[in-house]
Parts: sequence; C-alpha cells; structure tokens
Amino acid sequence: MSDKTEYTIEDVQREAEKHQKSKEQSELMQLIIFKLAGEEYGLSIDQIKEVVLTPRIARMPQTPSYIKGVTNIRGNIIAIMDLEQKFGLGEGLIESAKQDYTLVVENADFKIGILVKEVPNTLTIEVDDIDKASTLIQYSTLDASCLMGVVNVGDRMIILIDMIKLIESEGVKTSYT
Amino acid sequence: MAKEEEYKEMFLAEAEESYEELNRLFTELEKNNQSRSAIDAIFRITHTLKGNAMGMGFDAIAELSHVMEDIFNEVKLRRMTLDSTLFQSLFRANDILGDLIQSVKTEEKVRYKGIRTKLQVALRKAKAYYEAQHESTVVKEDAVANQTGSTEHTEDEVKEGDSCEWIPPNELDDEEGEEEGDDEIKGHKIILSDMVQVPVRKLDELLNIVGELIIEKDTLIAQWERERGSNSDLARLHRITSDLQYSVMDVRLVQVGFLFNKFHRVLRDAAVIENKKVDLVLEGTESEIDRNVLKTMSDSLVHLVRNSVGHGIEPSEERLKLGKSERGTVTLRARNEKDTVYIEISDDGYGVDVDKIKAKAIKKGLIPKEYASIISRAEVLLCLFEPGFSNAEVVTEISGRGVGLDVVRMAVESIGGKISVETELGKGTTFTLGLPSSMAVKAALLFQLAQQEYAIALAYTEAVISMPKAEIHKINTGLISTYLGKTISIVFLQDLFDMKSMKEIEGKGSLYKQFDAIEGNPNLDIVIVSYNHRLVGLVVDKLMQQKEIVEKKLPAPIDNVALFSGVTILGTGRMCLVLDIVSILSHLFREKRIGANIATLG
Repeated sequence: MSDKTEYTIEDVQREAEKHQKSKEQSELMQLIIFKLAGEEYGLSIDQIKEVVLTPRIARMPQTPSYIKGVTNIRGNIIAIMDLEQKFGLGEGLIESAKQDYTLVVENADFKIGILVKEVPNTLTIEVDDIDKASTLIQYSTLDASCLMGVVNVGDRMIILIDMIKLIESEGVKTSYT
Repeated sequence: MAKEEEYKEMFLAEAEESYEELNRLFTELEKNNQSRSAIDAIFRITHTLKGNAMGMGFDAIAELSHVMEDIFNEVKLRRMTLDSTLFQSLFRANDILGDLIQSVKTEEKVRYKGIRTKLQVALRKAKAYYEAQHESTVVKEDAVANQTGSTEHTEDEVKEGDSCEWIPPNELDDEEGEEEGDDEIKGHKIILSDMVQVPVRKLDELLNIVGELIIEKDTLIAQWERERGSNSDLARLHRITSDLQYSVMDVRLVQVGFLFNKFHRVLRDAAVIENKKVDLVLEGTESEIDRNVLKTMSDSLVHLVRNSVGHGIEPSEERLKLGKSERGTVTLRARNEKDTVYIEISDDGYGVDVDKIKAKAIKKGLIPKEYASIISRAEVLLCLFEPGFSNAEVVTEISGRGVGLDVVRMAVESIGGKISVETELGKGTTFTLGLPSSMAVKAALLFQLAQQEYAIALAYTEAVISMPKAEIHKINTGLISTYLGKTISIVFLQDLFDMKSMKEIEGKGSLYKQFDAIEGNPNLDIVIVSYNHRLVGLVVDKLMQQKEIVEKKLPAPIDNVALFSGVTILGTGRMCLVLDIVSILSHLFREKRIGANIATLG
C-alpha cells in the first residue's frame, strides 16, 4: 500500500509498464489528482481530454452558481463548472485569477470544464486498492453513484469521482420549468 | 426557362443513375434470378423513373419503364419467372431506356415501341398462364405434374412451373410482326452524369467549416483594424469568405416541390381514412429552402395536412348543403421573401370558430376571465398552439386524437421560425409557417449588458429605441410604456438575468428592481422584440452593431436554459450568448398579470 508516491508522467508510464509485467493480474488505473478545498480528488485519466489555462468565461444567467458559464476552447464551446461550489466546499474559486486551470472532461456526448487552482498531477493506483466502503458514501455530500471510492496512498487520502456519472445522473438543474 | 432547365438537369441526372443501377441489377439478377433485393430494387427504380418521367412529360421513358415496372411487379409477387429470353428482352429494353434518356438531351428519335410491345406480350402471357394455373389447379395438374407432382400450388412451385412453360421466343416474334430490324446488340455506351450526389452529412460538415472560417475571418479583421486602423486590406478576404458561405448555403437549398410532391399520397390516405373527397393544390413549388429546414418541418407539414383533411374539410354531403363544391381543396403554397420562406397550408372547410376557442381557452385557464372581453382575435387563435389544447371537439364533430399543434409550433420555433393561423368561419383556415431559408447564419443585433455581449436574432427584433426613464411607468407587477401609440411591456433584461429561474417572474417587484435602482432620468437603450403579435421592450446597457452570426448550440448540461437558444463566438474571440426570444416571451406572458398588459394592446 505504502510503496506508491507521486510520479511524473514518464515515471508513471515506466512504472505502469513495470507493474504490468510484475503484477499481471492486478489492474492499474491512472488518475488525475486535483485539490478542492484542501482535499485531494481523483478522476480516471480516461475521462480527461486536456488541461488548459482557464480562458475567459461568459457568465450564464439562470444557471446554478456552480456553473461558471461557457467558454471557447479551441473552437469548442463548453460549460465550466466549479466543483467546490457544486460539492458545497469552501467559497468557490475566484475566476479572475489567470493561473487557474481548467480540466476538460469528455465523453461521447459532452465536454465540460472543471476549474482547479493548481496544475493537476497524475498518479497510478491499483484498482484493488480503491476502498468502496459504503460507509464512506453515507457521509459524503456527493451523490453515491458518482463517488467511486477512496484510495489511501501513504498518508494521502484521495477521493475518486466519476465525472461522467456526476453530470449524467444528476444533470445540471437549469431554470427551464 | 432556367427553372425548367434545372428540373430537366436533375431529372436526367437521376434517370441516368437509375439506368446505370438497372444495368447493374439486371446483371446481378441474371446470375442469380432469385435475388429478392435486386427484384425489389428494380421494381422501385422503374417505378420512380416512371413517375419522374411522367411528371416531366417524357412519355416514351414513362411508357417503357411502366411496362418494366409491371413485369417486376409480377416477378415480385412470384407470378412470373425470369428466364434467359426475358433477360434478353429486359437488357434490350434497358439499353433503349438509356437511349431514350440520352435523347432528352440530343432530341434524337429512338424507337422503343417494339421492345415495349414485346415486354407487354410477355407480361400478358405470364398473367394468363398464372391465372389459368390458379383458376383450375386440378385441371392443370397434368401439365404441371412433371415438375414436382404436387397439387398444392405453393409459390415456389408456381415459379418453377413458370420457367418450364415459358413461351418460346420465336412464338413471340411470330405474334409481334412489328419487330425492330436493328436488333443487333449495340456497343454499350458508358455515360457519366453531369450531377454529383453528395450526402447531406458532408454538406453539414462543409457548412460547419465555413462557419468556423467566418469566425476566424472576423477575428482576423478585428485584430487588423485594431493594429492598423483599416479594414480595406482584408476586403478581398471578406468578400471571398462571404461568397463561399453563400455558395455553400446555395448548394444546400432544395426546391419545396420535392417535399410537396410527396403530399399527394399523404392527402389521399388521410382523405380515405376520413372518407372525404379532397384535392391537393400545390403552389410555389419552385421556392427554395435549406434541406435541413425542410427535413425538420416535414413531419409538421404532414401533421398540418392531415389536420386540414381531418378537421378542416367537411364531408361531401355537408359541403353540398353549404353550397360549396363537392370536393374540398387543401392548398400547399410556398413563397420566398428575403431570407424567409413562407409555407401556407390552407383548406376551404369549416374554419375555426374563434368564440368557441375563446370559451374553451377561458375554461382551461389559458385566458384570464377578466380580459376575455378585450382580448384580440389573434391572441385567441394563438391558444390553438398551446400544449394540451385540442381543438378537435370544438371545431368539428369528428373525433380525433389531440391535434398536437403545440408540437408543430415547437418544431417551427426550434429552427427560429414562426407559425400563425388565419381563419374565417365557413370559409376555411390557413396556417402560415415562416421559416428561415437557411439555418446556418442569421442576422443578429448585438448589445451589452453588465460588460458582456449578447445577441438577439434580427428576426424577432422590431425596433431599437432610446427612451428616457420617465416615460416608463409601473403598473401592477410590470413596467409599461408607449411605442408608436401602442402600450408595450418593458422588461429590464438584467432583472431576468438576476433571477435564479423564470419562476421568479411571479415574485412581487421582481420586474422593477433595476427600474427602481436607476436615479435621475437617463435615456435607456431598448430593443423592442416581437413574437406572435406580442411586443416587449427589453432594456439593455448599450446597443452595439448588427452582425451575421453563426449560432452554435449550447453545450450539455446547460443546453436547456430558458433564456438562451445558443452561443456564438465574436470576432474578438469572446463568447456571445444568443437570447431565446420565443422562450423569454412565452415565460413572460404565461403570467396572467402581464397578460393584462397584452390584452390592452388589442
């Protein structure tokens, strides 16, 4: 459990290959780690398209406050979301700060941007290490279906979320009545 | 006339393709004469070709393809079998068909009657044989016994029987004295069509790319102007992109007639079900419209036509009693007006009883009782398009499902169009759809609010005015003012934007927060928007220029916000949300208190 630390991308790839060889049966998972209100959150790398500097955002009236608006990333128009607000953690990010980053989450149906303060990093874990204990979910403010579990890496605790499920299951409540 | 030439060109392109396809299918069928798919395809192609040729007045092509169609109808029904002799004739017929199609261009004379008669005779014989078989299976048993010995005539057996008992070709020749002399096989000519068929998907992609290009061009020009203070340097770029855009849009245009012509059948079926006598009249079929607009609207048009037959036209006896002609008429009419195509569906039937509609609307709560006496006729008719307002039992005695005009309205509005209805009791009803001739680019008015740009489609913009605050008055829960002698509602857009949802419109004082916050008597920029006779002045911070925009859909999960229909990227690279005027107005007017304001417009 405690033999995992942070890796650079090259390290991750090398490690991933090593792990693949040594532990053929244990499945590996690459995560993108970012911080929300001091806690570490992880998303499966498959769900992330890219990380960009947050472009100018056009506000969108009559949407929940965690929807920061829409922006133009390489000609694609995507919605930008603040997960701190969505999960009710802290004050939310100040969008004017130019060093903010946007994680672009993508699946076949939609793309959405998530605001984060620091450059996210990557981490490789073993799928078996994900603790899916249901008690965790009970105390969580997250919807149970989008909380994949918790991974303990050394003294770090990373909350794994499934962004796609988060958007799909709950949706964004808009003003249309 | 150029239009006719274009029709001819299109007919030829399609006919040439049909001819090539038939050649391919015959070859396939010759190898495997059981191929159902090939038989069905040939039947379909010859049928279409016949129809098209008849429409164009090319009788020779029509006649020849007709007999081919008939033969394949029999083959399809397994009442006739293909053998090598028949194939000879069919190939020959197809060659002549090809010659006939070419002759449309060259105007050469092509002799086709011989082969047509030959096929007709073959057809007649096969029919006679089939009927004989089925009339007296027992008597004929001996004749068929040598194949399977079965008395039961399953389809397959009949076919086998057919092929064995096929009339020998020489018999045919004997009967048909007039056989063309030049029966030698001519060298098969390969013909390349002058038209290219392109899947709509590719055109969509192309238009998308052009849209991107326009945005990039605008960005470039804006940047150039900032740096060099002149835009004439890029005038050529501007012109070329604009030409490109219009060329691509033009390619996507189709004639309304292509859709209208399908309505003969729709109308006929509806008339049969309703047991009414109805004729269809088509007008303005040469009007052009974007193919996707037409596709979006096709279901709605079917709906409206069925509606006209079902609820509009009276049964014959009733019509005669009313002194009308026995047969009812449904007219589909199209006309281009600038960037809009108007499609009208009118009938000469009952007409709609506005008073009955009004009574029902009041009962359903769509019109507040207090305003019933002052509400306009047009306002009442708009209730027809409200969800759940089925006019069936009011207008006619014919029972029907919910008319679903609300669905039609939604379809029209989804592409930025308008729908309206005009009716005269006893004379008939006309539905008018005002549709954009192209969906890709629309003219819009840009304005600023709280340091951000927004756009309103010009189609919904009535006027832009500047008005001192003192001319706006509070009434009830809203604001009103006078524009060209008419009383209109005034809404500070910022008030709507500050709401968490449209429900807050009901909240007391929700629509004059901004109004109260303004000190002094400044001039306010107001955009007067209209939809379905409803005028509202929207107060904005600053009016900007008018511009052609490429509207993009809002991304999920914020794609159903009531305020906005889409978003566009400005030349500056900034995002610009496009207001959904139809939705905003319908939310505003759903409130009865504001209903009071419209009622006074009357």
